[in-house]
Amino acid sequence: MMSMKKEASSLSELGFDVNFGAGFFRQVPSSVCDNGEGTQRQRRPTKVSVIGAGDVGMAIAQTILTQGLADEIALVDADAGRVRGEMLDLQHAAAFLPRVRIVAGTDVLALTRGSDLAIVTLPGARPVGHRGVELLRKNVAVLREVVPAVAEGSPESLLLVVSNPVDVLAYAAWKLSGFPASRVIGSGTNLDSSRLRRLLADHLGVGAQDVHAYMVGEHGGSAVALWSSISVGGMPVLSYLQKTHASFDGEALEGIRRAVVGGACEVIGLKGYASWAIGYSVASLARSLLRDQRRVHPVSVLAKGFIPGDDHQVFLSLPARLGRGGVLGVAAELELTADEESTLRRSAETLWEHCQALGI
Amino acid sequence: MHKASSLSELGFNAGTASSGFFRPVADDSPPTPSAAHRRLTKVSVIGAGNVGMAIAQTILTQNLADEIALVDALPDKLRGEALDLQHAAAFLPRVRIVSDTDAAVTRNSDLVVITAGARQIPGETRLNLLQRNVALYRKIVPPVAEHSPEALLLVVSNPVDVLTYVAWKLSGFPASRVIGSGTNLDSSRFRFLIAEHLDVNAQDVQAYMVGEHGDSSVAIWSSISVGGMPAFKSLRDSHLNFDEEALEGIRRAVVGGAYEVIGLKGYTSWAIGYSVASLAASLLRDQRRVHPVSVLASGFHGISDGHDVFLSLPARLGRAGILGVAEMDLTEAEAAQLRRSAKTLWENCQLLGL
Repeated sequence: MMSMKKEASSLSELGFDVNFGAGFFRQVPSSVCDNGEGTQRQRRPTKVSVIGAGDVGMAIAQTILTQGLADEIALVDADAGRVRGEMLDLQHAAAFLPRVRIVAGTDVLALTRGSDLAIVTLPGARPVGHRGVELLRKNVAVLREVVPAVAEGSPESLLLVVSNPVDVLAYAAWKLSGFPASRVIGSGTNLDSSRLRRLLADHLGVGAQDVHAYMVGEHGGSAVALWSSISVGGMPVLSYLQKTHASFDGEALEGIRRAVVGGACEVIGLKGYASWAIGYSVASLARSLLRDQRRVHPVSVLAKGFIPGDDHQVFLSLPARLGRGGVLGVAAELELTADEESTLRRSAETLWEHCQALGI
Repeated sequence: MHKASSLSELGFNAGTASSGFFRPVADDSPPTPSAAHRRLTKVSVIGAGNVGMAIAQTILTQNLADEIALVDALPDKLRGEALDLQHAAAFLPRVRIVSDTDAAVTRNSDLVVITAGARQIPGETRLNLLQRNVALYRKIVPPVAEHSPEALLLVVSNPVDVLTYVAWKLSGFPASRVIGSGTNLDSSRFRFLIAEHLDVNAQDVQAYMVGEHGDSSVAIWSSISVGGMPAFKSLRDSHLNFDEEALEGIRRAVVGGAYEVIGLKGYTSWAIGYSVASLAASLLRDQRRVHPVSVLASGFHGISDGHDVFLSLPARLGRAGILGVAEMDLTEAEAAQLRRSAKTLWENCQLLGL
């Protein structure tokens, strides 16, 4: 078996003078016109940190790298060997990508310092039953270690939580960070909405990007599809769906909704984990945030005051305008049916109970 | 737990043209036959493991294909991977993603990337592993070639030089349409190390590793050029104690890079994904870019014309495949190393009975 020795990772480790570059390219002479103002304040490079270098974290990091969204990427994980391997695997592609500084290790504070966006991914797939409670407790314990360190090193950062149960964990991260709620987001139903849009798009023969449809509420089995607001090409879709169904009733729509929320479980059941889709979903959020795109995404935000009849301080997914400042605004004029409202209120109640039990 | 993957499975009628959600314009003439449309670009990836999926995903992100087909022997894993890509539909331009254990799904591909390969059993000889891989290729390559007789074939499985030869023989394709990923990635690692040292962008470092991919690859020091300047002499002058060992140290760091990643994370994926996507872009978009890839090397650098071996040389790549191979100026020592590799490769190839 090949020895696992650490390879030289720089020419200076191999005896080549580290100051070589200074001679190979020489600087222009200082200009006599230098007005003495000193170096211009250069725009800081855009830095994204990904905490958790598992399948999800790495799919996110790699997609962000490929899409050219960051100048610097920090990878943090408790497993020093694995995260170093992941870093090298990305660095080796240097000839095929624009120059991006990639660092990796186990020290959250040191590595994430100065981040514009910190993305937290934690272990575990969708929790089921009491295993879910165990997983939640473990993940909150990790957040207690990780989030304050991120907040200390990057007090202006945006914080994006991508682990389940995402709404509770986003709340926990918000509390632990001390950040304004506008700078803390959970990935929420952004990906579920993509699945819904794909199903409808394939059915209608259009591109998914032209299907405007939102899943909102509690991420997971109770997510709500806002049927009445789905539109394509300026046309509402719901009545068309009703007309074309063999025997339309509430169950028909519920069938679609279940297919959507079950999507991740299905992938996990087949390949053991889900990674690519969440990678693209989070990269899409990263782009809207870092490039100040003002795009509307259904993500887990502080929903207090947005659900009629509910005032709990909980995070759940609503269509939110995202930009460089984080959550610029949340949809305030949603037209919800009575059923949709009551489902959201129920979710808020349940989430509030979970959040209170955290003791944060 | 097969979930519904379409609305029609859930009882919704896919609308016909006349009663559908979108109606065609009033038009007396018959619709343009689809054969008249320029075909969409289709890439197939054989092998949905870490390497195959990193390649497929990078090709998808870089929007190089209109259709991607995935093939693997494991049906659940395959379907899971295809779904995982399909679920991202709202975040990507529309790409048709299909998958099947049957190679027929690769029909009419423009490019077929082969990553399938047997894993080495502890204690297994290289020759035995090679023979198992040949058996695998005998199952994979002929159907692929039959379903896409005009395709470009890109071999990634290791040992890549031998398996590219195998794929060429089994496909019956002209050698210009059969390419091995070769030292394209090694060269990237080489360029990265030099670029970090010079504090320049790796894309501005021209440097080639050639020959047999793996432990015996050859670094062409004289080929290193940055900003129009040959870098070798300056690199040499900057070394505290320059000798052959210093260069060999760099070469080993490059070759060892893959082993190090495997030792740390269990496999490599991202880098080879970007490397192959880069080759795919040059091929599919007819970029005429020069990449060090595994090509039929007989007749180059004193390698005997009769020895049909594949090894990496800088080659111009475009839509028709390998458009030409660089006639590099090698030192006698470098050419001798290539010839030595060619000899070993030829001996291995002859044992395969193709």
